[in-house]
Amino acid sequence: MMSNDALILDLATNLAPVRRRSMARETLLLAALGATELALVLGLGAMRHDMGMMIGSAYMLWRMGSLAILAGISCTVAIRSFAPTASPRRGVMLVFLLAVLAMVGGAFVGTAADSGRALLDRISPANGLLCAVSIVVLAVPVMAMLGILMRRAAPAHPEGSALASGLAAGTVGALVFAFCCPMNDPLYIVVWYGTGCAAVTAIARWLLPRRYRL
Amino acid sequence: MRFNPIPRLIPPPRPARPGRDGPSATAGLDAWSGLMVAAQAGHGGAYQRLLAEISDWLHRYFQRRLPHGEVDDAVQETLLAVHRRRHTYDDRYPLGAWLAAIAKRKWIDQLRSLGRRPTEELSDDLAIGDHESAVTSASVLASLLDELRPAQAQAIMLVKLQGYSIEEASRQTGLSVSAVKMNIHRGLGRLTAFIEKTHDVE
Repeated sequence: MMSNDALILDLATNLAPVRRRSMARETLLLAALGATELALVLGLGAMRHDMGMMIGSAYMLWRMGSLAILAGISCTVAIRSFAPTASPRRGVMLVFLLAVLAMVGGAFVGTAADSGRALLDRISPANGLLCAVSIVVLAVPVMAMLGILMRRAAPAHPEGSALASGLAAGTVGALVFAFCCPMNDPLYIVVWYGTGCAAVTAIARWLLPRRYRL
Repeated sequence: MRFNPIPRLIPPPRPARPGRDGPSATAGLDAWSGLMVAAQAGHGGAYQRLLAEISDWLHRYFQRRLPHGEVDDAVQETLLAVHRRRHTYDDRYPLGAWLAAIAKRKWIDQLRSLGRRPTEELSDDLAIGDHESAVTSASVLASLLDELRPAQAQAIMLVKLQGYSIEEASRQTGLSVSAVKMNIHRGLGRLTAFIEKTHDVE
């Protein structure tokens, strides 16, 4: 094993200037990726046809608003957690709390017609599974980008950072998918969007720490 | 003459080292931050000095947390991590917290690696000679000799255990040769009887 002095001399001799990590730059990069993904999806003509009419409704405001807030906060939490001195614990708890509040909020935007239908009919598992899988697929680019940023940074809690990254990727994927999803039942959104986000979070939590070494 | 900001970032030598209890010692904080900023700009001298000081602190940090043989390894791993991640240091915050977070993570990694490493039991062949029977025998013998009269015990000790002749034992004890022989004979007889009565004597 090389002595400490020899190692230090070697590192100092071959030192090159570095560009300092910038959270603002990483946030912009992530926002640009999300915007590109959304533009591609909409450019392919996947947006629901009645979006112009629905956008002002309480249901759509709840759906898009809560997903946008969750995506914004969870991306910020994930990027902040990549600094070695930051702990993602509080941020992740905040995101979970907001997600629960958003789910509860769904109860106030449902219509009377929705609540009168049978539960299985409202959940519609065949469509729901497709939605959940779509969210997972749409979350992949953001998860990959967060994985790269995590590897380049120095999170001291990689498991927590991976969890935050999974939440961020899942909510961004859900937000993009929300522009396309034709379903209008809040219960359906809570169940299947929740399932999609949970799946992305679990994948990120399992995968990202394995690809990371300080 | 060109203005060179780098030397201004390198503070003069401090009277004390950066604290025994970690980088939280106030003297070291600003100095280390300045050195790291200079290092980020590519100043090798500042970086060498910073790493040398960090290395001392890391030695103390890991000495209290890891087995002796693991300390150097952990220090070098941490120095490499500091080198690889130096672009993540934000000079708005003290370097101590940044370094402590990296060192803690490396400590955890080192503990995990210790846990995964297979342990080998020491073979009896590698161990030094076993003195257990000798120690037990000496202890049992001492307790047996306590059962005898002092003159009998002394005669047996000298002749049977320490290898003196009857004549030498006679001179040492001041007894006649026949008295020494008698003490040995009667003492051994009592010991035999005692051992026969006591079943758990090893």
